[in-house]
Amino acid sequence: MDDLNIFTLAKYGLDLINKKNSNIKCSEIFFGQNKYVNIEIEENSIKNSEIGEDNGVSIRVINNKGSLGFAFTNRLEKKSIEKMINIAVKMMNVGTDNPDFKDLPFSYKTYPDVDDLFDKDLKNLQLEDSLLYVEDLIKICEEDAMAISQTANFISNYSKTYIYNSNELEISGKETNCSLSSHIIVKDKVSKETSFGSEWQTERMLKNLDPERIVLNALDDAKRNLNRKKIRNMKVPIILTPKGTISLILRPIAAAVNGETFQYKRSFLVDKRGETLGSEYLNIEDNGLIAGATGSSVFDGEGVPCRNKKIFEKGKFLRNGLLHNSFTAGKEGVESTGNASRNSYSTIPSIGITNFVMKTGDIPLEEIIKGIKEGIVLDYTGDSPNISTGDFSGLILHGNLIKNGEIKEPLNETMVGINLIDLFQKIDAVSEEFSVYGVFRAPYVRIKSVNIIGGGN
Amino acid sequence: MEIADELKEIDEKLINELHQITKDQVEYWDIRASVNLGTNLDFTDQRSKEVSSYKITDCGIRTFINGGWGFCVLKDLNRVTIKNGFQKAIKLAKLSESLSKYKFKIIEQDPMIQHFKINSKKDLEEIDIGEKIKLVIDHEKIASQYSPKIKNTHTLYLDAHTQNIFLNSFNSNIFQDLSFLRLFSLAYAQENGILQRSINSVAGVGGYEITETEKAKTLSSKTAKEAVELLKAKSPIGGKFTIIMDPILTGTFVHESFGHAVEADHILNKESILEGRLGEKIAIEEVNIIDNPTMSQSKKFNLPYELFGCYFIDDEGIPSQKTIIVEKGILKNYLHSLETSSRMNELPNGHGRASSSSSRPQVRMGFTYLEPQDWSLEEMIEEVKDGILCEDFQYGYTDPTTGNFQFKCKLSHQIVNGEKKQLMRDVALSGMTLEILNKITAIGDQNTYNYSDGLCGKGGQSVRVCDGGPYIRIENVTVGGLN
Repeated sequence: MDDLNIFTLAKYGLDLINKKNSNIKCSEIFFGQNKYVNIEIEENSIKNSEIGEDNGVSIRVINNKGSLGFAFTNRLEKKSIEKMINIAVKMMNVGTDNPDFKDLPFSYKTYPDVDDLFDKDLKNLQLEDSLLYVEDLIKICEEDAMAISQTANFISNYSKTYIYNSNELEISGKETNCSLSSHIIVKDKVSKETSFGSEWQTERMLKNLDPERIVLNALDDAKRNLNRKKIRNMKVPIILTPKGTISLILRPIAAAVNGETFQYKRSFLVDKRGETLGSEYLNIEDNGLIAGATGSSVFDGEGVPCRNKKIFEKGKFLRNGLLHNSFTAGKEGVESTGNASRNSYSTIPSIGITNFVMKTGDIPLEEIIKGIKEGIVLDYTGDSPNISTGDFSGLILHGNLIKNGEIKEPLNETMVGINLIDLFQKIDAVSEEFSVYGVFRAPYVRIKSVNIIGGGN
Repeated sequence: MEIADELKEIDEKLINELHQITKDQVEYWDIRASVNLGTNLDFTDQRSKEVSSYKITDCGIRTFINGGWGFCVLKDLNRVTIKNGFQKAIKLAKLSESLSKYKFKIIEQDPMIQHFKINSKKDLEEIDIGEKIKLVIDHEKIASQYSPKIKNTHTLYLDAHTQNIFLNSFNSNIFQDLSFLRLFSLAYAQENGILQRSINSVAGVGGYEITETEKAKTLSSKTAKEAVELLKAKSPIGGKFTIIMDPILTGTFVHESFGHAVEADHILNKESILEGRLGEKIAIEEVNIIDNPTMSQSKKFNLPYELFGCYFIDDEGIPSQKTIIVEKGILKNYLHSLETSSRMNELPNGHGRASSSSSRPQVRMGFTYLEPQDWSLEEMIEEVKDGILCEDFQYGYTDPTTGNFQFKCKLSHQIVNGEKKQLMRDVALSGMTLEILNKITAIGDQNTYNYSDGLCGKGGQSVRVCDGGPYIRIENVTVGGLN
């Protein structure tokens, strides 16, 4: 369906809603179009080639008392939109009042320019051409003496979004995405032990994908974790790798500064606004305007312009460091921060991060490790902290011992426990190196001293 | 309910055309098409956050040639798009085939021609939206009025009615009419700066009757009670302890740590601790592990609906069936899809499942459990000098290549000299799967047997599952904690 047809349908829909019920305060029609290609590798061989598309529409109506009705379908005809409007209005009529609802966003005069969100090459990518990317993954893995298997995939995605609301907001935009992921199993021929390693990359522009780096990092990751040892209990410094920093600092803070979580008092940061909670090395922002970044956008899931927001500065949790959509912003009496998140037409806007960034430091990783007599590297844990309490206790799935400034054997059955506020205060070094994983940008971080529970006692 | 118009497009004439299009082009094909109607109600603090309804059509066309698969997903269901989808899928399979290293055939199965309908006592469509909303608000009220310490409540109601068609190149033609319902309750309690939460759910295959059982009716009061109790709970001290797992944790262990390792795709991908170990003794003799996702097992639990993890047929047209995975401690069988059974020269056992018609079937569990033995819970506790009784779970994960797992328990009680003592929160258990299976010192009896349900994620897809077992006691388990 082309732009003009969608525009006509949207206008028709909004008019129809307007005529329906005098109690309606505002309404919104959201169209989402999506096309994807997916190539899957199993056992280090191409297994499946897939293409698909998903186009749909959702209707959001809110009455004068704040009751919201929502309906969606993937049939984009006039008749089925009429039906969905009827259902959405019916839903609105049976919902409860919500005095906290203020309004949907009004139209904006200007939107930011964000470069490199759309790649023509990616939109027109043929499946045959996509194969080039996975062939590199297969070849490098095949040539490695210790690798015994690889699961991997390449996904490319083109999406177009149209948002129309009764406050005269009209916006549309197109974006592309592509990703490569590699998950490799290696085996030590002598000890017979196996281990896995993973790496992935998400980009807006096809040319930025780097298959060689992905597969080599996954191989390194897997090998670094061969022949694991159980250790005794200890209290030592730990180094978070960028993946570890994401798990223990960025992801929990992203969840804790979500306007909704905060307003419902489900966040460990409630009552701590404006307080210095961490060391001077804790600097975090949510930046939706980084050129070519996967978390960047011109507008959010409700049509509000994206921007850059500081969350933590020199350890201080900034008073206005919360992320909002139009509902939570209205409830607090502030502007939406452009963080309404909507994966597809089938969801009502929640709150999500754009690009969540921890500021890098000015010393190299090597120097940070050098000073550690005995410590732990934490790369990957399947656990996540409890967002309401900030407590974390988890198993280190990928981690190594540090002895006399050198990274040594990997860890088995080793757990770590700490409260996040305590962790933030104990950050005493941040590396100049950083890695990008999807919407996160994270450096290596050193935490002064942490309780480690080993399985080897 | 009558068959949805969109599915009527797939008639005899179109089916014949599909056989013609694919003839001499591919070795195997199947198509799954569905029409889904549903309601989502999301309430917080007795206010509606989402009241929504949807209608979604969904279709996946899968083609296979000599080791290579093609898959084409479309949402608009009509004769033209379906035929075009087949043409595209054939091209995709050819492309996969040209580059795949492992060549194999899909072993032909007998065709299955059948209609399945879930016998719900109260059809979802016949329940007015107002009644569903009242149910949710009532649960919200119960939770928030349980105690002044409850500061925040959240209730989620999801129902769905789906009609779907499965056709394949073996001439199978299966129509299913199913419905599901899930109800979640969350409560947050706060006192003296401490915040704790609890979450519980009921889920089943069936109609509105799922909301009317004792378990469903007491859902929100149980959740609120737990959240308040957790305020007084102590954080655990890390170390090694004798552990007693409740049926929910036993089920989680059997599913998460062990079950994924017997999924044959993981075996072929050399990603499992159980690769090449069929016929070997891997656990103590008292251990029997089963996966049985067949219908009608809910009677054992006196439930008027089908268990959430159960199904008539899998997403490759193979009937659900009971599979013995471990018998007397010996590994007997893996779980298979059509592909893995063909490659390993075994019979398919009904575990090729997909989260929707637009996703590719993978090897998945259904209802996985440990069979009970003869210990009572009291007997198990009596012998423990210094241990933890672990109940209910928050989440868990496992490293498939080593079997190293971790589970976070919801409620736990310290056991001192054979007596249940102080409540503990966030107890984290860690261990190696195969070591644990050999460190079990007691398996509970039939009276201690129970199950739980949920969605299991793998490869970006979520499918309905159940798992369960009796209480079990394990020696020398690593427990993590903040202290």
